[in-house]
Amino acid sequence: MADQPTDLPEGASRRLAELEGGLFTSDLSVNEFLLIKEVGFHPLGFVMGSSIYHTGIQTRKWGQSQELTKLTGAMYEARELAMTRMEEEADELGADGVVGVRLDVNYYEWGKDAAEFIAVGTAVKAENGVSHRNKLGKPFTSDLSGQDFWTLMQTGYIPQGLVMGTCVYHIAHRGLGQTLGSAGQNVELPNFTQALYEARELAMTRMQDESNQLGASGIVGVRLEEKSHQWGSHTIEFLSLGTAVVKTSDEVTLPRPTTIISLDN
Amino acid sequence: MDELPGDLPEAAGRRFAEGSFTSGLSVPDFAACLQMGLEPAGYVQGFCVMQWRWYGMGMSFGAFGPTGRANGQGYSEAWQCPHGYVSAEHRGWGQNYEQTWIEDAWREGFSSSYERMLEEARTLGAHGIVGVVDASSPLGDLGLLEFRVQGTAVRVIDGPPPIGDRPWTTYLAGQRLGKLIEAGYAPVSVAAAISSVRVWANCITEYLTEGSTTNWGQVAGAEIEQTAKAHMAVRRIARERVRAALGGDSLHGASLATTERELGQGDAELQCILRGNQVRRFKDFDPLAAPRPTVRLS
Repeated sequence: MADQPTDLPEGASRRLAELEGGLFTSDLSVNEFLLIKEVGFHPLGFVMGSSIYHTGIQTRKWGQSQELTKLTGAMYEARELAMTRMEEEADELGADGVVGVRLDVNYYEWGKDAAEFIAVGTAVKAENGVSHRNKLGKPFTSDLSGQDFWTLMQTGYIPQGLVMGTCVYHIAHRGLGQTLGSAGQNVELPNFTQALYEARELAMTRMQDESNQLGASGIVGVRLEEKSHQWGSHTIEFLSLGTAVVKTSDEVTLPRPTTIISLDN
Repeated sequence: MDELPGDLPEAAGRRFAEGSFTSGLSVPDFAACLQMGLEPAGYVQGFCVMQWRWYGMGMSFGAFGPTGRANGQGYSEAWQCPHGYVSAEHRGWGQNYEQTWIEDAWREGFSSSYERMLEEARTLGAHGIVGVVDASSPLGDLGLLEFRVQGTAVRVIDGPPPIGDRPWTTYLAGQRLGKLIEAGYAPVSVAAAISSVRVWANCITEYLTEGSTTNWGQVAGAEIEQTAKAHMAVRRIARERVRAALGGDSLHGASLATTERELGQGDAELQCILRGNQVRRFKDFDPLAAPRPTVRLS
């Protein structure tokens, strides 16, 4: 193990050294395992990265909708750290990529403003020795299941990286005057529409920026999540996640679906 | 992108100008789209935040006469007490009525969001939008309801530019959409309508919903006419509304979701949303291959 990444714990390198001996761990189901083998990949090991991050506080104007840039930065940076550490573990195993990546945030009683960001997944390597690393020379990451990975490979696309963008937004409180001004009517409130619209678009643009850095042709399986975490109902994190993919062949080798009748049940 | 159409936020323009595609489709749906000759152009969305309150007028108790209706429009039916008994504690009049102001507001929230989504799709030069999802949810504790309509805009691979400025839309995606097209139908638009009916119980409805025989001589187990009629009306209104919007096309994959908020003994607010896909026949039906029986090993 020549170039050991600097910030992995000692236990990690022992575990990874064992995996280099040929043993593998994976959280893939049996079906996923078979499908990944079918497209010519072999699981190397279960990899993870984590980061405990103090997300801090940020003053916000009571009556104004605005992006909380410090919190946005913190939420992004913390996930990025966890992902990078997971990539380091995968790199250490000589992996081509990581499939089935899950990104979680945990809060503990001991730290009110601190959160633990965890990324876990299964590192895989191509059996024919051809490198499938992405443009940046790193193992690709993706939140695709084994089934999705198989299907995607049949369409001539390969994953490049799990990409994300986030935007933490504060939604204005409404003053008494404003509330009374439109009391008794069901009307659109353009300021609120615009603020939330903007926040989501920002999260998605940032995700797309990441995908462009990878030279991807597109992002599949985009999810847009909204969470208030522990900030109360007026502060919302908009997180968009997806798998950046690049087209490697025009050939779609997916067989035509067959109609079936299930004899189960 | 020189200028942004209409009222889309600035970040939306930047997102679309970047050239790569985003797709909210799952990988199987994505693969099915490519197989059908559709390529994703981008994830498109529209939002609308509405100030929201459930009640209009018609809050009176109904002891001495029918409760007032908000605006005299839509379905309404009244029930009078058969007992000839007048008291502030006895609900002499009951009424079902359609809450047209709720329906109007929902329509505004839905269609504003929908139009904004179409606008995003037009910006991308899309032919249609697949996998549409719509929802509304309260925003914090502010008395606001946010409407959202989202989907994945698609272009026909090597197809001519879209005709007209309204991309087709459908709740379907993936193989379900493939099967529809195989069956000879083309998607036209999502179709959605809401209806909202308020039930103000009269004495009979109140006793019957208590489920007991009362000293007024009602028998437990009888049909509760007022509640039953409200349930029928709320579904009928939603269906008539969608039917009126179809203009001769067919509705595919309709789902009728009714929710009931109980507001008191026998008092309730019923809401019904009907969603479906407006489709049009464009070719004859090609019979599908005979299905092959299978057993899953899981």
